[in-house]
Amino acid sequence: MDNITVGYGGEPVVRGISFSLDKNENICVLGPNGCGKTTLLRALAGLLPYGGSVQLDGKQLREMKARELSKRIAMLSQTSGIYFSYSVFETVMMGRYLHMRDRFFAMPSERDREFVERCLRAVELHDVAGKEISALSGGQLQRVFLARTLAQEPEVILLDEPTNHLDVKYQIELIEYLKEWSREDGHRAVGVLHDINLAMRLTENILLMKDGRAAALGRAGTEITAGLLREVYGVDVVGFMRQSLRKWEQYGAGDAEGGRVETS
Amino acid sequence: MRSPERYTLTSTDAMGRKITVTAALCAVILLIGIAVGSVYVTPADSIAIIWHRITATPLPEGIAATDAAIVWDLRLPRALLAFIVGAALSVSGAVMQSVLRNPLASSYTLGVSSGASLGAAIVIVTGISLPVMGIFTLPTVGFALGLGTILLAMGISSRLDGNMENNTIILTGMVISLFINAAVTLVSAIEREHSQRLIYWQMGSFQGKTWSAVAVLLPICIACTLAVSRFNRELDMLTFGEEQAKSMGVRAKRVKWVLLVVAAALTGSAISFVGVIGFVDLVAPHIVRRIFGASHRYVVPMSAVLGGGFMVLCDLAARTVVPLQELPVGAVTAMIGAPFFTYIYLSRRKGAR
Repeated sequence: MDNITVGYGGEPVVRGISFSLDKNENICVLGPNGCGKTTLLRALAGLLPYGGSVQLDGKQLREMKARELSKRIAMLSQTSGIYFSYSVFETVMMGRYLHMRDRFFAMPSERDREFVERCLRAVELHDVAGKEISALSGGQLQRVFLARTLAQEPEVILLDEPTNHLDVKYQIELIEYLKEWSREDGHRAVGVLHDINLAMRLTENILLMKDGRAAALGRAGTEITAGLLREVYGVDVVGFMRQSLRKWEQYGAGDAEGGRVETS
Repeated sequence: MRSPERYTLTSTDAMGRKITVTAALCAVILLIGIAVGSVYVTPADSIAIIWHRITATPLPEGIAATDAAIVWDLRLPRALLAFIVGAALSVSGAVMQSVLRNPLASSYTLGVSSGASLGAAIVIVTGISLPVMGIFTLPTVGFALGLGTILLAMGISSRLDGNMENNTIILTGMVISLFINAAVTLVSAIEREHSQRLIYWQMGSFQGKTWSAVAVLLPICIACTLAVSRFNRELDMLTFGEEQAKSMGVRAKRVKWVLLVVAAALTGSAISFVGVIGFVDLVAPHIVRRIFGASHRYVVPMSAVLGGGFMVLCDLAARTVVPLQELPVGAVTAMIGAPFFTYIYLSRRKGAR
């Protein structure tokens, strides 16, 4: 994407953002509240009109039909309230909407069913497929939505703070799952995550934003420096993290030195 | 551990049973609605009469011609009309609630009813009669103004708020609805000689309805309900919010417009024939969701069945509870519906999970 401008009519909220993302790569958008992260994401999802150019494999986003766009780009948001309850299976099946809408009566095919089941297995919810989603815990519900997003078979997943309201275990699991997902089939993820630690867990490829503009773009530790983070967030982020780390070190070393954090 | 396929299978079985029971119950109610009245005709005789009229064969011995006339000319069209109106209102309510993500949304709150009332007031007070339309003048004007009101509400809210947020639509609709209601009240205050008829219209009644109303309303309602059914999946997805629906590929804004207009047309055409009847559109979909789940594949048809049966029951009460007098059915729906609704809602909530 090149020189993106997005706004809600009137003054643009996001100005002059550019970045590119290879297949099997992820990027995280960081920045303080109100810097335009979510606005940028909504433009990428086709929910807001934008100025400039956004291309997916050489094709302009705004030239894509709405259907093609939502077939290729899916969004995982933070959990919202549920007004009416469906079963887990039904909810995940909604992700297959575009894949079955051309069929007569839009009935799910055997392949749709299999795919939904595979997605449920991936997020380990196949045991509760028949349960009503209103009876699930927040963590389970977010995994239902993840499964639904996966069921869309998108090439790109946009993450709009999906880890909000999740326990730390599920936060880690969600990020680890997405990391794994993005390693295959040319998948990509663009993440807006409030938690800087989680963001860097997903990828070290970072777009740092301030007041709707790009403050920096690059890798953590090289382009994204401690001084820059302090300037953008108005607080010594790195200092804070190191302070926290010292506190955690009182607990003795965990077994996850440099590797995976075990979740059970 | 149960696999998803097994689950789907058992749930379909249970669902089939529930549907059969509900449909049978509504059929029985319909039959009682035909049999019971100031003159009692046994259900068996009623069925015989209907059968012989449909097949155009002579009546069997032992059934009086007056009974046949009562059943075929008065009770059957009236009960059928009540069923159709109840079904139309309930389907419309289900759509409004889901599309606007608000359990209290209905055509009533969005101004369809007040628009139609204004139309009725104009026709009643001025006594005009449209050419060609004749006795259908009032329904036509009522329908037009009812639909016009909601289009106005949606037009204004899309001006105010490009995204047409649900709350904007609901608030705009309510404001317009209150405004028009005030206008109707003014009219009935000034035109005292017509106020009685107007007030009765605003409380709804199936009194004196004949086959002609059924003949007009039935095709409209079937067409609109089929149109709604075409959007079952989109309705499911819209309950998660427009943005999520969009990201799954639903053309949310377009679908929303189509569904709201179809729902308004359902309500508008129903009440323009029988006057304002509230409550059923609010209650029936909620009860259906409690029993059959929230999937619109079931919610839409079962709202029609349950809402229709409920309305027949209410009309039966309206014309039989107080001898020699008809109660306004709009009041009866609320009198029966409110406690029933509270019972269903609370008992299910306590019982399940």
